[in-house]
Amino acid sequence: MEISNLPISPSHRGKLLAAGYTTLASLSSISPVQLAQELNIALQEAYDILKVTSESRNFESCNEGLGEGASLFSHSRAKTAWDMLSEERSLRHITTGSQKFDAILGGGIHCSEVTEIGGAPGIGKTQLGIQLAVNVQIPVDYGGLGGKAVYIDTEGSFMVERAYQIAEACISNTLDKFNFQGMDMRACQEKMQLNNFLSNIFYFRICSYTEQIAVINYLEKFLEEQKNVKIIIIDSITFHFRQDFDDLALRTRVLSGISLKLMKLAKKYCLSVSVLLFNQVTTKFTEGSFQLTLALGDSWSHACTNRIILYWNGDERHAYIDKSPSLPSAAAPFSVTCEGIRDALPQYKRARTT
Amino acid sequence: MRPQNLLELPGQKCTVGCPLLDALLGGGLPCGSVTEIAGEAGAGKTQLCLQLALCAALPPSHGGLSAASLYIHTEFPFPLPRLRRLALLFPAPAASPSSSSLDHVLVRGVHTAEELLAVLDRLGSVLQRPPSGLPVKLVVVDSIAAIFRSDFDNNAADLRRRSSLFFAIAGRLKEQAARFGHSVVVTNQVVDVVGSDASSSVRVGNYESLWSSGRRVCPALGLSWANCVNSRVFLSRFEERAAKDMDQEEGSCVGAEFGKTRRRMQVVFAPHLPESSCEFVILKRGVLGIQDQGRQEQQASPTSSRRHSWLNKIAKRLPISAGIDASCSLPVAVEATLG
Repeated sequence: MEISNLPISPSHRGKLLAAGYTTLASLSSISPVQLAQELNIALQEAYDILKVTSESRNFESCNEGLGEGASLFSHSRAKTAWDMLSEERSLRHITTGSQKFDAILGGGIHCSEVTEIGGAPGIGKTQLGIQLAVNVQIPVDYGGLGGKAVYIDTEGSFMVERAYQIAEACISNTLDKFNFQGMDMRACQEKMQLNNFLSNIFYFRICSYTEQIAVINYLEKFLEEQKNVKIIIIDSITFHFRQDFDDLALRTRVLSGISLKLMKLAKKYCLSVSVLLFNQVTTKFTEGSFQLTLALGDSWSHACTNRIILYWNGDERHAYIDKSPSLPSAAAPFSVTCEGIRDALPQYKRARTT
Repeated sequence: MRPQNLLELPGQKCTVGCPLLDALLGGGLPCGSVTEIAGEAGAGKTQLCLQLALCAALPPSHGGLSAASLYIHTEFPFPLPRLRRLALLFPAPAASPSSSSLDHVLVRGVHTAEELLAVLDRLGSVLQRPPSGLPVKLVVVDSIAAIFRSDFDNNAADLRRRSSLFFAIAGRLKEQAARFGHSVVVTNQVVDVVGSDASSSVRVGNYESLWSSGRRVCPALGLSWANCVNSRVFLSRFEERAAKDMDQEEGSCVGAEFGKTRRRMQVVFAPHLPESSCEFVILKRGVLGIQDQGRQEQQASPTSSRRHSWLNKIAKRLPISAGIDASCSLPVAVEATLG
């Protein structure tokens, strides 16, 4: 297949041809960053071109493969580690609101990965969820992702008034930050309307595990309709699976099905979905004593790429990276203020009342 | 299956019958979510719940929901005399002026967890066809702990059976709260925390430890139940008598009306509330918050001067002589005395 037949915009086609790319094969080993530099176009555009290219190449090789005896790799093109590295480097992060928390996460919550967050009741899991659903919407011009959020609430803990508060604080913080840099205030304000922030959170209230499975199956279709969803938050994955489930083997199968589905979504809408699951803590009976652990058992702990545990350390909230393929284990303090998740600064330390 | 629009979600709140406590709770108890009120015996849990049940019938202009309430009690007998005394303070609901405020408090007793589950399963039909004419917008379970404290042994199998019942009950309560938009209140007892082994107890919520009557306590039913509620409010009490020996002559001016018990309401965790607390008193006219002037003072060791200014303050604000006007609803009465 020739470049000239690719379904891309004529200007991009012209640039590709001018740079000497004539066949699909010639684009197979180039990274989006390189391509963007070479053609002098935006990174996102380079991504889109490569996506279209790989899709049509897959289509082609599929057709060929049928003739030659299908190869295992015919459908999913093998990637080199270098491609993956450059892809990972260009991934964007969703800030948590606390710089120290972001630092241990390597910039924030990763896109296209499944992250599990666990902690005791009242530690701030829901607060973090609302904060991320708001932060994901900070426009691209202002250092955010300009995306939308899907919030799947299984516990009924999502409070609209709290989302208002956090969104309001997020808007005024962003305005403050960019006011210094002489950005146009009015354009900024137009882009960041409080009501838009709330209407860009797609909220599903789930009342049983059947509904939960149904909504996760429905997500694929939903994400196709709503292109700009950049984060899916499930708060919490656990709740409905801790009732009415006597057959633990079945529970494990259902849950790993859910996690596979979520990982697939995160990868498929590559760069666009990061999945957060909130897990509850429970006690585990081992060797005659009760130990604290995250709910849903050992097999579930394999299901997520990243696992973050929130805990109290004295009077300070801490976040700890328990499992991650790329990040070292580390802990960082954070605090929950009326503005949302922030750094744990000494002035945030509140007077004890009892 | 469509996502809900957050701008159209109703964020209704039900007043608890006192502007100060409402302020602590961000306007009252939120509909569609489960709030737990924990506290030791005599902390005021039941009194608060009875008051809430009556407040639900108040018109929205007074912070109520103009609705009936369902009171599921597990401790027998039902405190009817207390409810009747309180009901005198409440006018008949505006929606049906011919009825008394007591007509809109539905009462049901349950003895076991299974029975509670069965009642909750049938709750949907009651909520759809409310017997008193007003829709039911408040469900109180007083107390959840009582039914779990007797039937279960302290072994792994029983604990597992118990926690799966927690999740089943909480699941039903939340499902119906989401579907019908009512507010759910459950009360919980407390257990003493023995020893100071930090590894065995997980800190839940804003407070490292909770104290009541000078003992370190924590809400009963453990961590799995804590996962089942959306918000937890803790009521603590402290007997002033402990400090009385030191300054007996000064203690004589303490009004008998107020007793010698100081009480405090603390937000342990809630998705919409910051850590905060408020002192309150229980009077004939109900559970009322009082302005917190001693936030920094340690509850366990109040100095006598502070205590006196505190007592004077209530005495000024809530004159004992003020008659209770039965035709006047509670929040109005309180506002009037506050003004």
